[in-house]
Amino acid sequence: MPKTLFEKIWDSRVVVEQKNGPTLLYVDRHLVHEVTSPQAFDGLRMNKRKVRRPDLTFATMDHNVPTSDRSLPIIDEISARQIQVLEKNCKEFDIQLFDINSPNQGIVHVIGPELGITLPGTTIVCGDSHTSTHGAFGALAFGIGTSDVEHVLATQCIWMEKPKTFEIKIEGKRKNNHAVTAKDIILSIIRHIGTAGGSGTVIEYSGKTISDLTMEQRMTICNMSIEGGARAGLIAPDEKTFAYLKGRKYIPKNYDELIDYWSENLKSDPGASFDKIFTLRVDKISPQVTWGTNPAMTTDVTSTVPFPEEYAKGNQDEEKAAIKALQYMDLKPGTQITDISIDRVFIGSCTNSRLEDLIEASKIVKGKKVSPKVRAMIVPGSQLVKKQAEELGLDKIFKEANFEWRESGCSMCLGMNPDILAAGERCASTSNRNFEGRQGAGGRTHLVSPVMAAAAALAGHFVDVRELDLN
Amino acid sequence: MKGDVIKYQRDNIDTDVIIPGPYLKIHDYNELAKHAMEGLDKDFHSKVKEGDFILAGRNFGCGSSREHAPIALAYSGIKAVLALSFARIFYRNAVDGAFLLPIEIDENTYNNISDKDSLEIDTEKNEIKNLTKNQTYKMKPFSDLIGKIIAAGGLFNYKP
Repeated sequence: MPKTLFEKIWDSRVVVEQKNGPTLLYVDRHLVHEVTSPQAFDGLRMNKRKVRRPDLTFATMDHNVPTSDRSLPIIDEISARQIQVLEKNCKEFDIQLFDINSPNQGIVHVIGPELGITLPGTTIVCGDSHTSTHGAFGALAFGIGTSDVEHVLATQCIWMEKPKTFEIKIEGKRKNNHAVTAKDIILSIIRHIGTAGGSGTVIEYSGKTISDLTMEQRMTICNMSIEGGARAGLIAPDEKTFAYLKGRKYIPKNYDELIDYWSENLKSDPGASFDKIFTLRVDKISPQVTWGTNPAMTTDVTSTVPFPEEYAKGNQDEEKAAIKALQYMDLKPGTQITDISIDRVFIGSCTNSRLEDLIEASKIVKGKKVSPKVRAMIVPGSQLVKKQAEELGLDKIFKEANFEWRESGCSMCLGMNPDILAAGERCASTSNRNFEGRQGAGGRTHLVSPVMAAAAALAGHFVDVRELDLN
Repeated sequence: MKGDVIKYQRDNIDTDVIIPGPYLKIHDYNELAKHAMEGLDKDFHSKVKEGDFILAGRNFGCGSSREHAPIALAYSGIKAVLALSFARIFYRNAVDGAFLLPIEIDENTYNNISDKDSLEIDTEKNEIKNLTKNQTYKMKPFSDLIGKIIAAGGLFNYKP
């Protein structure tokens, strides 16, 4: 019987399977960070358990680390303690840690692929919902909570119920690849399927548009699968995948032999059936801007803030949600998106903080200045991204334009470190969640692509980047 | 299991409003509980009582994988969340750590239960009794895995 890519990876990692019951699945790579791991390590100690496979476990600190000068001590004592606890735990349990001074430190979902820890056909878990990012490499990657983190540390396995399959085909040709980005594609998808549209499923993204995307763009797509409610996102690996990982630090010695196996096996068979299918045509999509307080509340940059009743299409709960969202966002229906003024710009996060994101943003910024009423920051996803960007001189372009050029971490995506919005501040952000208070209590978030964020920083309001020269 | 309802008539109550990011550094669960639901309802901490239930719409607990979310609710006294649907990671976190019961209900039940109603939940019969309104509703039974993890008292006691 023809199988989907998901089914092939799942079947290859089953340890125990019961009829109509849950499955015990083997975990190939476990990524750990400072926020969702302390209680898991406490649990191990309390029960006198060891880490089953320290060699398959990798840790870094990203969520709460400051993105200011790393030579200075961390002022927030609670953050400092959480970071020390991770250091202590990794030492005690013999886990490879990329600490705050490591040249490999960065957002866990940026460094996994960058270091070749992420591999096609593997299972990956991490105590972070955006673990779906790694699916861009044909890895089955799940976000988990702290109890499951402890379970994986102790057993290298996880109990799961088999998800359903959802194919999202992305077809057509974008008119301007630099202006209409992977971020706009995934925001369009979530806008159509809703924040729970992918519930209970693993999404496989397929189609010509997907094969045309670079690895970093594919990561942006898979990253936000969770925002569509899915358990994971997947893209079949191809030549681009193999070329991206080649030579990376932690790939296996027999990497070249594995490529043959991967190319032959890691794709959905012709005729494989999915539980659900959705097709997005990208020919006509515009740069996207979120106007509300969840990522499905998205519209075209050329459009206006919707009227709640028009957005809800007769669904009363949706209408109420839209009214509340507009109150929180302090927006009036009918306002042109390009008339919305912004106070802050954040280019960063596991969605959009990689080298290509920064290169694309720099093309807009070069030789120009950030609007005097805007504070704009660039937070590279990792120390390696930062170094590569500096080698290309991007830091100079951004600094000359009055962007802040910062150290790597999750930063203003979730407001755990000092990088937060003040109440009432409005931000154009390349991150993944526009939830109330996400970037700081009372802060207002509009999710956009890196080029859209860069253009908004210069103008002080949203701009249709298709009108700019991006080549 | 008996308790009173705190109803939030909205979908997509995300983990960032259940426990905002800045509090994820807090290790003490009782301290964490003081900030539960702070992003949505500033009065939650003062009104919640031991044994209460939360009632909400679709996709409850969407967003981050932070186990701090069910922990903050559980340490506030919440014994169960009744919702039209749940986001997966929140759902598993609630059950794996034996923090609280995530109970799926239908549209009708959601509309019939009001804020402050007293309920009695029987997970063996999959029944919810509304003591205030003298009504009985069905809850969606737990799946095999979830039922067994709950019966075991959390993931680490679960034996297949």
